[in-house]
Amino acid sequence: MSKGTDPATGVWTQSAVRERNRVGRRRLIQGSAALGAAALASPRYAFSQSEKKSPLAGKSIHMQILGIAGWLPSKLGVDMSPEFAKYAKDMYGYDVSFSFADAPFGTLFQKAATSLATRSQEYNIIISDSQWLGALATPKWIFQVNPIIAKNPELNIEWWSPSIRSSYQVFPDGTNKLWGFPQVGDVYGIFIRKDILEGPGEADAFKAKYGRALPATWEDFEAMDYEEWTDFIAFFNRPEKGYYGLAAQYSREYDAASCPTMSVMRSLGGDVWDPKTGQVQGILDTPSNAHAMELYKAWLKYQPPGATNYFIAEVIDAFTQGKVFAAWQWVATGATMIPPNLKDKVLVVPPPSFKRADGSRVRNYIIGGQPWVINAFNDPEHFQVAVDFLKWWYLPETSHEYLMRGGMPCDKATCARPDFDGINPWNRTYKYMLLRSSDFWHDPKYSEMLSDQQDAFTGYYTGQIKDPLHALQWTACVQQKILYDEGTAMKAPTGACSGIRL
Amino acid sequence: MAGSAEATAATSSRRTLARGPGRGLLAFLGRREVLPTALIAPVLIFFIIWNTIPTLWLLGLSFYRFSLTSGRPPIYSGFYNYTSILNDTSTWFDLSRTFIFVVLAVGIETVAGFFLGLLFWGSNRLPGRRVALTLLFAPMVVTPVAAGTFWRLIYDPTFGVLNWFIRSLGLPAVRFLSDASVAFGAVLAVDVWMWTPFMVLMTLAALASVPKAELEAAEIDRLTWFQRFRLVILYHGKFILMLGILLRTIDAFKTMDLIFDMTFGGPGTATQLIAISLFRSAFESFNMGSSSALAVVLLLISIAFTATFLYVLYLRERRTSDA
Amino acid sequence: MSERVREALYHALLWLVALVFFAPVFWIALSSFKTAPQILAVPPILFFRPTFANYARLFAEPAFQHHFFDSVALSVLAVLIAVAVSFLAAFAFSRFRPGATNFLMFLLLSIRMLPGSAAILPVYLMYVAFGWKDSFLGMTLFYAMFSIPFSVWILKGFIDGVSPRFDETGIVNGASWFSIITRLTLPQVFPGVVAALIFNFIFVWNEFLFNYIIGGINTSNIPVMLATGLSNGGGIDWTFLSSLTTVYILPPILMVYCFQRYLLVGMTFGTVRGEV
Repeated sequence: MSKGTDPATGVWTQSAVRERNRVGRRRLIQGSAALGAAALASPRYAFSQSEKKSPLAGKSIHMQILGIAGWLPSKLGVDMSPEFAKYAKDMYGYDVSFSFADAPFGTLFQKAATSLATRSQEYNIIISDSQWLGALATPKWIFQVNPIIAKNPELNIEWWSPSIRSSYQVFPDGTNKLWGFPQVGDVYGIFIRKDILEGPGEADAFKAKYGRALPATWEDFEAMDYEEWTDFIAFFNRPEKGYYGLAAQYSREYDAASCPTMSVMRSLGGDVWDPKTGQVQGILDTPSNAHAMELYKAWLKYQPPGATNYFIAEVIDAFTQGKVFAAWQWVATGATMIPPNLKDKVLVVPPPSFKRADGSRVRNYIIGGQPWVINAFNDPEHFQVAVDFLKWWYLPETSHEYLMRGGMPCDKATCARPDFDGINPWNRTYKYMLLRSSDFWHDPKYSEMLSDQQDAFTGYYTGQIKDPLHALQWTACVQQKILYDEGTAMKAPTGACSGIRL
Repeated sequence: MAGSAEATAATSSRRTLARGPGRGLLAFLGRREVLPTALIAPVLIFFIIWNTIPTLWLLGLSFYRFSLTSGRPPIYSGFYNYTSILNDTSTWFDLSRTFIFVVLAVGIETVAGFFLGLLFWGSNRLPGRRVALTLLFAPMVVTPVAAGTFWRLIYDPTFGVLNWFIRSLGLPAVRFLSDASVAFGAVLAVDVWMWTPFMVLMTLAALASVPKAELEAAEIDRLTWFQRFRLVILYHGKFILMLGILLRTIDAFKTMDLIFDMTFGGPGTATQLIAISLFRSAFESFNMGSSSALAVVLLLISIAFTATFLYVLYLRERRTSDA
Repeated sequence: MSERVREALYHALLWLVALVFFAPVFWIALSSFKTAPQILAVPPILFFRPTFANYARLFAEPAFQHHFFDSVALSVLAVLIAVAVSFLAAFAFSRFRPGATNFLMFLLLSIRMLPGSAAILPVYLMYVAFGWKDSFLGMTLFYAMFSIPFSVWILKGFIDGVSPRFDETGIVNGASWFSIITRLTLPQVFPGVVAALIFNFIFVWNEFLFNYIIGGINTSNIPVMLATGLSNGGGIDWTFLSSLTTVYILPPILMVYCFQRYLLVGMTFGTVRGEV
């Protein structure tokens, strides 16, 4: 359900929801009364019905979008949908109304999967987290979009970075099978309190202490690696003044501890698995990756007590309440991270690069963001509206409007606009990091692998496990077994795994 | 059956005290040899539809390898799910953690609840007693989702009111939920806060079942406080108290929402109870087959525990009533 | 004099205990009158100018009314159905003691033993297969089933305490069994009925897991709304959480206040029928 924070959400009136419910219930009963008949709603049938002309003219259709609760980009997708209603009326001659259902990050997949498993078209369009593509596509719960793109060339869009396609569209990795369209791109950035950074005497004190200039501009930060960053946040770590150097994500919740950790691992030259062979052991449990965990844990020194419990929300509270100088955060939270009282006081910069053995400095981060996917059990009408909706979403005007409202489009045309960087404080970092970020597993076993990995990573960060390499070895064994049992991995877990415990 | 029993109820309710046996169906249902079955039937039907069928389903599925997201049909795999659960060390860790949690939570709640119950016993002259008791019982009715999230805030080292107290005493902030060695105790404390009132309630009920005359007699006989407690109070109140402990134990074994909203089972696995791992395996990983097997194991544990508990309870009951 | 002082101290202690347990709830309620920065303020703010904006925002939210209605309808219907059928069964168990009474009573209790996440799994699969997911009736009956065991246990205890002489007198006077059950027995076990209603009401009222998994837009109750609504802009919406929690806790608290007598008597499982 939409929340009342914004009067704009009032567009979806109660009666619309109720009407929708009645329709939904009837449909559900019909659908489930004869499970065999559900085959009628299969993708192919639906697709053959869709024509370029508007066979829906004069009809009135209700769509429901399932998105991420309290997540600005998801909310924008919904807030802007009345514009589509106008557009559809003019362009295709049908009436469309929208309602919104939501669930928090950690549980949205449950919400979607438990509904899709009933072959329900309760949620016509779903904003899914990118790693779920495999889990949604494998049981054929969502449409494969290649034929849609073939029929609608305007949906064959050139993206700003190659990782957009591989992160939000492709499954299995490396194939040409596409399943979604980017709803929002997202990357890690570091939010810095500019007012503190530019405080009187800071530059001199920093220079005196470290013998180099205090970074000031976006370019200065772009040039900084992990060690330089460590000095920087240590310098601004001032518990006696009521604020700490940094807040970052270490929590057990969802993928909190995993995404930053894997970013450090990959920047250092490591990886978490081989998507081609499904091999985890020998790739994840390396000394280099263990070192990455040590590096990320070392930053806990400059963070508020209890930072090991921080996920997105806690970082927001710490930063906006002035308890930290800097925050490692997804830039999609920008509008919340920079409330009116912090306007013009915040700088958003790329997170650190990491020095590899060959001396190069690399950023190879985990990407955030979510794709739109289309429910495969949509009837032909709802399917058609979903396609029309996506076509509208990627119109240059819509993309621009989305950008202006604080969203983060992925198409090259919009990203390359000369005014792009200036529209929101995080835009420049967003574009820069999109070229240096990519996704991790798209495997259907994603959540199971993640859950075990979170146990191990947070175990290490909170001191329950002393040796990071042991945490990685355990994780690798468990993940290898999961993938081997599923048939994704070619090799069984090695003998060293028997009896290994966290 | 259920329908007819309800229909019976509906038709009869329109009459006044019926004179003589009714006619037809009603008469049939009213017959002595049919009546008990007719009365139990609705509950039995509920039981069969919502308990027996799902449990059989669960049992059947536990012998299959079935993942909801794999897109493949279930594959029969014999006892594979069971052996892999029982060979998984984390299952045993989760189980022992749960066991410790249940023992500590129920133990503390019972002792604290019993003493607070004794304290409130005979507080009939307390001004505003009804309000005071309502306030005392309030933690029980807070939605776990809200309680968990708010306790996270109360515990927070930076924003939490509890740590503010600690800091203003000049002590360092405690990382209640993010320190692996403290988190278990912290979530336990919240469970104790939430459910001690329930044991207070059960104690008050137990104490109320003690006949006043016997207490007075005990006083006249100059029994010591402990003797009075053992011979009179415990003798009469034992059954209700034990029932309270049983209900609490069953519920503590199932604890999930409250902890999930505070720590998600973390940090590491510090607060991962078995109900949480089961939920993860079923509705995060969608491994329906092995989750079913784990569920069956848990059901067996619960049944074994409850059966033993009730057996002991009734056995004692019989012995004491024989004596 | 010293007696008086001692009593005063005793009463002060009792109130202190009650207030200690109530303090976190009070803190939530207090927060609902604060702005978001005030809720997070360090040191905590005790005295402030209350704002009603959180409530205004909440009540203006159409989803709130919708979910609140669902919560009320689900809980009330489910416990009424459960207590009605449980009462009939409890009467049969108590009066006729069919052979399997003990076994059946135990079997009933086993419903409550299964962890929610274990019980939900087959129920979910079953609801999917039968098409009952997100159906109001399916949800209500499920909750009713969950409320039956406790109700049967309490009510059987109470009916055990009602002398069978009443039945015999009734039969001699030509009353039907139905009249005996509803007109002679029911009034005497009223505290048990109320206790069963309240306890199960509290359970259904706060139930989250089942509603989240087998429910949907037609059946979502407030706990589900709380869980999904508390994140906002990536952060936690403390004002929403505190105001909704406060509103939602009022009905059960009022119930505990109004029916306290019955609640206490009810938990004696029929061993006491007078005042507690």
